[in-house]
Amino acid sequence: MLIAPEFDSRPVISFQQVWKTYPNGTDALRNICFTVPEGDYVFLVGASGAGKSSLIRLLIREEKPTRGRLFVRGQELGSLHRRQLPHFRRQVGLVFQDFKLLPRMTVHENVAFPLHALGESGRVIAHQVGAALETVGLAAMERSYPDELSGGEQQRVAIARALIHRPRLFIADEPTGNLDPATAWEIMQIIAHINATGVTVVMATHNREIVDVMRRRVVAMEHGQIVRDDRRGKYDEAYPAAALRR
Amino acid sequence: MKLIRQLLFAASSAWQNFWRNLAVSVAAVMSIALILMLAGTSLLLGHALGQVLDSYRHRVSVLTISIADNTPLPAVYDFEGQLQARPDVVSVRLITKDEELRTFASDPRNQQIIEQIEGNPLPAKIEVSVAHLDDIKRIDALARQWRGADRTDPTDYQGDFVTNMLRLSTWLTIAGLGMLTVLTVASVVIVMNTIRTAVYHRRDEIELMKLVGATEWFVRGPFVVEGVMTGVIAASLALGLLLATYRPFVDRFRAELFFLPLAYDPRFVPVLAQDLLVAGAALGAVGSYVGVRRFVRL
Repeated sequence: MLIAPEFDSRPVISFQQVWKTYPNGTDALRNICFTVPEGDYVFLVGASGAGKSSLIRLLIREEKPTRGRLFVRGQELGSLHRRQLPHFRRQVGLVFQDFKLLPRMTVHENVAFPLHALGESGRVIAHQVGAALETVGLAAMERSYPDELSGGEQQRVAIARALIHRPRLFIADEPTGNLDPATAWEIMQIIAHINATGVTVVMATHNREIVDVMRRRVVAMEHGQIVRDDRRGKYDEAYPAAALRR
Repeated sequence: MKLIRQLLFAASSAWQNFWRNLAVSVAAVMSIALILMLAGTSLLLGHALGQVLDSYRHRVSVLTISIADNTPLPAVYDFEGQLQARPDVVSVRLITKDEELRTFASDPRNQQIIEQIEGNPLPAKIEVSVAHLDDIKRIDALARQWRGADRTDPTDYQGDFVTNMLRLSTWLTIAGLGMLTVLTVASVVIVMNTIRTAVYHRRDEIELMKLVGATEWFVRGPFVVEGVMTGVIAASLALGLLLATYRPFVDRFRAELFFLPLAYDPRFVPVLAQDLLVAGAALGAVGSYVGVRRFVRL
């Protein structure tokens, strides 16, 4: 049995016996049970195919659980109507390994894009984009296009875009996967800063060094199951997986 | 206010996307323009045929009844009154023998005959206009039963011609509707696939829009506006080409087939322009809406 760490604050994320089975019969997630309290910083670790990406897809409601219930900020995602999705996604900041910037838009336009979707005024957009770019240290590059930026700078633009709605939950899927070690640490410092403002962070990663140095909560996955959940964990601590499976 | 800002953003995105994906935009414009050219050509042909048919229809919807010379005038007035009272008759006109002779004599081709005839051999006539072509057969039957009608040549009813006209008119209407249906279905499918190709190239952009909290309509809006824009540009192109060829074509046709009452009709140009522009905008909008639907669904 997995023991979720004890926290006083209410959970931002709550997986309750969640299963995800794909149409071909593969169980991508098996009986996932864990909670993430407000302000927590969680690393999701595990080999490729362990279920990290499936878990993140459920968290951003790209997919629904096959069984079980998943709550994010009190909303059960399985029963969320299509029309409620845009509102839900505006509460979550998302960052991906491949940045997902729109190549034909400038830095400013990329960051402003979610605000245009809300029909915000030019004044509000200018103010919020300026603040978000300030946070990631790219205020001077707002007129540049993504292909004029380094990988680290592109990821910082993506982070600024994720922060534009001032989310309380920040989800990053391998945000340092395409970056060199020095740049990866710059990104981690920005994410740590975001977490320090009270934003809950969930980050899937393969980067052993980062996990081991940061010493935050580590949720390790294997074959669609959570095999370890340590309050101040390391990437590679001896998995109790073998024991669990026995 | 937010809605207006979102609409403006959709319009400006559509404009930018149109130019940024110029190759695909040109392909879409060309395919819609081609379809609208076909539709416009069929509209023009339909209108021209309509003109010809209307002209013939007008001619054959007037039945002329020849009156026997010895018919008493009260009997003629009585029959004229009977005809006027019928709901299927639009107008009745009595043409006296003298009037008929004057008309005959006024034609220069008849000068030689006029010099040779003695007295007035031409009969008085009753000219009856009917509301619908298919009413003329009944009036003809009535006229032939009337005692005052000239026995040798009671009316100028051209039974086969009228029947054929009615048949041709019906078939042309059916063929026109069939062609319009085929063109509409083909054009929606072509436009939908062209726009779907354009959308497929931008699926990552759409994916991202959805992930950052854009509503389905916010994602779809620029594509639909872009579709309308593409459709209107294509319609303008098709209209320009059709108008450039319409008049020369009619002139050439008239020179070759002078006996057909076909004429260039400037009053039809605004109708054609309106039809093509509305059809282009509608095609673009529907094609984009359907083409983008699969990718936009949250």
